[in-house]
Amino acid sequence: MLNSDYVRVEHLSHRFHLTRKIAIDALKDVSFAIDRGEILGLVGESGSGKSTVARCVMGILKPTGGRVIYDGIDVNAAKLSRDENVRLQKERQIIFQDSGSALNPRMSVRRILSEPLDIHGLSRDREAREKLLIQNLDFVGLDPGVLESRPGELSGGQRQRVSIARALLMKPKLIVADEPIASLDVSIQAQIVNLFKHLQAEHGFTFLFIAHDLAMVEFLCDRVGVMSKGRLVELAPTRQLYDSPQHPYTKALLAAMPIPDPRRERSREIPVYHAPEYVTRQEWTRVGFDHYVLMER
Amino acid sequence: MTRKNWIPYLIKKLAIFLASVLALSVIVFAVSRLSPGDPLVSYYGERTEKMSPAERRQTMERLGLNAPLTTQYVRWLEGALRGEFGISYKYKQDVLDVIAARIGNTLLLGLPGFLLTFVLALLLGILCAWREESWLDKIISKAGTVLSCVPEFWLSLVLILFFSVIWRLLPSSGAYTIGKENDIGDRLRHLILPMAVMILSHLWYYAYMIRNKLLEEIRADYVLLAKSKGLSRGQILFRHCLRGILPSYISLMAISVPHILGGTYIIETVFSYPGIGTLSYESARWKDYNMLMVLCMLTGVVIIFANMLGQIINERIDPRIRASEGLEVPTNEP
Amino acid sequence: MSHEALHVQHLHPMPTEAQLAGELRFKVVGRLDTHDMPRPVSGRKVRLPWVSIAVLAIIALGCLLANIIAPGDASYMDLASPAKAPCAQYPFGTDMMGRSIFAMIWHGGRVSLLIGVLATALSTVIAVVYGTVSGAGPVWLDTLMMRVTEIFLSVPSLLIVIFLQAILGPANVVSISVVLGVTSWPTIAKVVRTEVRQLRQSEYVVASRCMGGGFMHVLIHHFAPNFLSSIMFMVVMNVRGAIASESTLSFMGLGLPLEIISWGSMLSNADRALLTGAWWIILIPGLFLVVTLVCMTNIGNALRGEVNRGERNL
Repeated sequence: MLNSDYVRVEHLSHRFHLTRKIAIDALKDVSFAIDRGEILGLVGESGSGKSTVARCVMGILKPTGGRVIYDGIDVNAAKLSRDENVRLQKERQIIFQDSGSALNPRMSVRRILSEPLDIHGLSRDREAREKLLIQNLDFVGLDPGVLESRPGELSGGQRQRVSIARALLMKPKLIVADEPIASLDVSIQAQIVNLFKHLQAEHGFTFLFIAHDLAMVEFLCDRVGVMSKGRLVELAPTRQLYDSPQHPYTKALLAAMPIPDPRRERSREIPVYHAPEYVTRQEWTRVGFDHYVLMER
Repeated sequence: MTRKNWIPYLIKKLAIFLASVLALSVIVFAVSRLSPGDPLVSYYGERTEKMSPAERRQTMERLGLNAPLTTQYVRWLEGALRGEFGISYKYKQDVLDVIAARIGNTLLLGLPGFLLTFVLALLLGILCAWREESWLDKIISKAGTVLSCVPEFWLSLVLILFFSVIWRLLPSSGAYTIGKENDIGDRLRHLILPMAVMILSHLWYYAYMIRNKLLEEIRADYVLLAKSKGLSRGQILFRHCLRGILPSYISLMAISVPHILGGTYIIETVFSYPGIGTLSYESARWKDYNMLMVLCMLTGVVIIFANMLGQIINERIDPRIRASEGLEVPTNEP
Repeated sequence: MSHEALHVQHLHPMPTEAQLAGELRFKVVGRLDTHDMPRPVSGRKVRLPWVSIAVLAIIALGCLLANIIAPGDASYMDLASPAKAPCAQYPFGTDMMGRSIFAMIWHGGRVSLLIGVLATALSTVIAVVYGTVSGAGPVWLDTLMMRVTEIFLSVPSLLIVIFLQAILGPANVVSISVVLGVTSWPTIAKVVRTEVRQLRQSEYVVASRCMGGGFMHVLIHHFAPNFLSSIMFMVVMNVRGAIASESTLSFMGLGLPLEIISWGSMLSNADRALLTGAWWIILIPGLFLVVTLVCMTNIGNALRGEVNRGERNL
């Protein structure tokens, strides 16, 4: 499972304290690795801990257990050199679910896109910057006319494209997208996923794609991890996972995918997965080439 | 809030109240001891100047003024809990006795003024909301804005100038004419001007808030429902909308206490009305620290209590305020 | 770092100029024509109260040019004509000490306005620093700092003012500004804190911090623009409050002494004027004071923006 040394997520756990007494285990011992240039999808119902993984990988949250290693750098290490910090800030970029709140509503698109450049003091020359901004807008299919607009004047799809353009500006090596299509209309979702596929092929960044839409994940990702109740329960290459799911939760999840044929859709039976209340001992088992399942012993 | 957990809730609020009062007492004590001036003066007045250095040392020792500040504070607090706040330097009397003699006057002016302000504010608020954007609403709004900008002391001066000096209709100062202490009519006549200032200078501020609350309320969906049931506008406004704003109205009353109290003190001073306000002002001018400390504690406790009451009412209206205090998901910034 | 240096870091070659001109090597699906999108009008409309601005500007200009409008020493006492009603020589009359009220209005207005601005500048700086630290800090610090403001608000401000005056010695323009400044920050601080607390959870701030934006960057680019618009109203109201407080304190004899002329101290011998019925001594400085306060209120209210409530259901 941890066969790559690019991004390694090792025994990640996170506990949120809601009040002094109530705590929620958002993540329990999650481990996986992402290869360079790979698109890894993470699926699971809401509350399964997908976003927490994304936030830990980005260093927004400090996990209460385990660690995330990005290209040899411990993301949550207490002390990082300046170089390492700058590398982490430039090479990893995040795209959020709600582009409405991920872009400062008071800033024009130009200022939003300029922000990472300003922070790192890049391309101060006006013309060069203008060219760079227009080029990146072009990558995501927006024309330069939007530069003066504010996020409130754009549609949801356009805003998400601006978010993507901002992430691309830093020429990242790793993009983490936390449910980037969940808040969009279905027709726009397809556009954005298509855009991701093109951009990834073009720019070659590594991509951690978090979603709960299985069809989109199947279309986009090379490998897929399935999460349930804070645990990673299955991890396999996409084809293999969709063809022969092993974990009961994965089976239930895949079975719930609608079939675009009303007759079959109506007549089929959907299995329901009940997570066991008390988990005794679970262990990762290799069931096929690069296919791992969390199994009870 | 469920019935089960209101006792711990109340205990928690009480603890916060006591902690605030304690903190207030520390501040008041510290400031009074840190402020310049001979502390002995507040005990013995001019006699201090005639004391010999030895006498001075002895007296300081006896009064415990040489002890560290913390010890002095604990001693003062012990005395305060027993109701011993010392002697007023100006009045040569027990501080509490002086206050007791005047607090009635302040209540006589403050309570009816406070209630009248809010009754009138409600009526005015309803009137303006009922005739929203009409010329009546606009004129009242403009006049109200201007009136609420007038400082209390100047409004008092102007009213005294016209009603007492020029037209000689009403008395300009005091709580009663000397020799007529028990004449109710005379007392009331003395109350008219101060109370008018009090009401005029606060009325619009609160009427405007009530108006805006009502304007929000009459845009709620239930108003449409009530209308479709065939209720008249008056019935909807008075039976439903007014009930809707009642909690915010009460919390507004609680929150307004410090504001109105501060105004009353100034008004009392201008009218030389023998109440707590005038007393505070005189103590400040005469550096009567013992008196000032007690008055500050008294005012502070009233304000803390009113603020807390307003907070509790607000929390009961909107559970989200309460939730946001305890249920914040902690995040670690990168 | 130059534009070139960015290329090196990138895994793939950048598109050439030709590609930028339109021959991109890939096709973007679903290109949107942004010109066709309807642009909703966003933001609250601010209608400026021009009358108030003009009146306030005239008063402020008059005070600035006090030396030209009323040359000479404003505190000059014409002992031969005390409490003289308005006449040709003294357009606004003289006060109990024979000083020209006309001259005092403009010279004293300087002091009043200056105190308002100084006190507010001080309290705004304190409020922004305090509010940001409280809002951006950990929960325990925030709770502690907010408790402190609550206790601060519960101490009668008149008392703090009086004690501070006593500590700072005889009142002058600077000391009274400091006193009013350090007693009027908590309400603004609370607003700043609430805004910062909400904003720091927002995704664009998180994104900014991920990109490497430091505390100052986030404060300047994200926090400040948001809370500035909500505190502008309070800042203007604070100027108004400071001017009103100064006049009240000076009137009561707890603020500026008679020799330092301000609209408040001009009124401090009003009780003697009352006895003689010298209305101009009371009414004229007060009118200037009230007109200034009303103008500021109107400007402040306009800054708060108009609330668009929509159709009423009643």
